[in-house]
Amino acid sequence: MTDPLDDLDRDILRRIGRYDPPPADLDERVLFALALTDLEDEVARLAEEVAPAARAGEQARTITFDAASRTVMITVLERPDGLVRLDGWLAPGAALSVELRLPSPAPPRTVTADETGRFVLDEVPHGLAQLVIHGTPRVVTPSLLL
Amino acid sequence: MWSDAQLGTLLERARDGDREALRELVRALDPVLWRVARGQGLATEDAADVVQTSWLELMRRLHEIRTPRAVTAWLITTTRREAWHRQQRSRRDLPDGGTAVQTVPDPDPPPDERLMADERDRVLWRHFEHLSQRCRDLLRIVAQVDRPDYTVIAEAFGMPHGSIGPTRSRCLAKLRAALTADPAWATS
Repeated sequence: MTDPLDDLDRDILRRIGRYDPPPADLDERVLFALALTDLEDEVARLAEEVAPAARAGEQARTITFDAASRTVMITVLERPDGLVRLDGWLAPGAALSVELRLPSPAPPRTVTADETGRFVLDEVPHGLAQLVIHGTPRVVTPSLLL
Repeated sequence: MWSDAQLGTLLERARDGDREALRELVRALDPVLWRVARGQGLATEDAADVVQTSWLELMRRLHEIRTPRAVTAWLITTTRREAWHRQQRSRRDLPDGGTAVQTVPDPDPPPDERLMADERDRVLWRHFEHLSQRCRDLLRIVAQVDRPDYTVIAEAFGMPHGSIGPTRSRCLAKLRAALTADPAWATS
């Protein structure tokens, strides 16, 4: 059913395959996001990402995730020391535990949102991360590249 | 690439909590899902995100999926649907003048010629763009995976399973003919 490929065919396919391969870290990002997820979780989808706006010398971008039960919005601020600060907001607001998963061996960071749903995660390293909102149901985001 | 039977074994093991099996499943199917998302015209970051979302949704449905063919079909359908929604959303977001990162991308954009160091690549992509959409989809996926599984590809692009082999041969022959007839290909 398959015609054997000769050298020219193989050269052509190799040249086509060189462009637009999946990102080198795609598998890693998927597996990181899946490591925790189970049946009961609700998946939050990336709804909007607003580009970094230079705001009084600060670099900030805002990312919104929508799940069926809740919306999670975070603003990622670059700190002068190379770390980032996340200002987050849950809607509807609730004093829930918010966990930021980081690739092992870094332990997860956990804070509790206030009654209005606001939370802050500061001094977070760049790289892969995933937000887990411990409500009912638990809400997980895809892997974020901070 | 994996046969249906092998995917089935991986799926069963993944369902029982075997992380290594899940890893293999992700490795096997990510290149196909990537092309499905990109083929819908998504920018790279959006495509990567949609592929992740599809896997996250799969984890919630793992117990409902009975056969390996179903897992592949399910992931591909989900990726296509998520990509479509993402497209609609970025279109909708544009007119309000926001600084949305995503602009509406060209469907299946050709690679940027400026990135090509190799003259033969430039010649190849010029001819590639004249192929039918079906040929372009098929050759790009076949080029991405070793020993591609025709069942998966048929599923991904909505083609009859039996037509994949002949279509691939026809598309490749067409591109070859155009290249060998082009003096720029021969001399570069």
